[in-house]
Amino acid sequence: MQELPLTEPVFLILLSLAERPRHGYSILKDVEETSGGRVVLSTGTLYGALRRLLADRLIERFEEEDSPRERRAYRLTSAGRRNLQLEIGRLKHLARVANLRVARKEL
Amino acid sequence: MLSLFRCLLYLYPANFRAEFGDEMNAVFREASETAAGVLGRAMFLFREFFGLLGGAIQERLIGTADSPLPALPGRGGMRAGFRFPKATAALMAVILAGVLLAIAKARSVEASMAMPNSGPETIAPGAMLILVLALACLVAAAGWGMLFALGRSGIHRLAKTRVPETRN
Repeated sequence: MQELPLTEPVFLILLSLAERPRHGYSILKDVEETSGGRVVLSTGTLYGALRRLLADRLIERFEEEDSPRERRAYRLTSAGRRNLQLEIGRLKHLARVANLRVARKEL
Repeated sequence: MLSLFRCLLYLYPANFRAEFGDEMNAVFREASETAAGVLGRAMFLFREFFGLLGGAIQERLIGTADSPLPALPGRGGMRAGFRFPKATAALMAVILAGVLLAIAKARSVEASMAMPNSGPETIAPGAMLILVLALACLVAAAGWGMLFALGRSGIHRLAKTRVPETRN
């Protein structure tokens, strides 16, 4: 089980797989788009993270028919989705507290 | 560029390469096709090089302990007896080369001291640059060799050792 809080690259990778299974390059592009170009993963960083997520069973290989070996897809497991939801809940709570404090200061 | 990337993949453990090597090559190829402009391409190569180097060090040091990947026969499996690691041999060769170089330099200094009229030799800037680069390569190779030897020794697994609870 990946400990919370998730690092930003890991959070973005899980988020990119939440929608649908993706292969490596598709994850790279989605992470870049979701973060508005702020997080650009290298191939080494991406596959290091994917290996750890596979080890933690938060993602799994998704076998597509006729997909070549160098273009294998990954998808979220139920544990991965749960972990992602926990992290989203944590971020929501943090944003709520932050909003309250900032609003109180403005009054 | 792809062949250089393939060479750098050898920095990773063999089971990692066997599992992800082909995918990483394909992703690098696709990503390099979309990198546009001289600056964009330079940034891309810089990011990929350091990402690969950092990833390889991480996999060598901590990656193999919790890896879900199957150990390749003869590489990560149990070994019946002591095997002299190749990395140690390479490291010893580098150290030997350094010692031989130091002896040669000491002899040249001794010779120049014996002849007082011949002042200290000046090194051309180009030769100095090559010397510095060679030294940097030597230090990098030695560092990598040490990390590799540490990774092979399994020292990182000590952190995950469970100590059985003692009964009172």
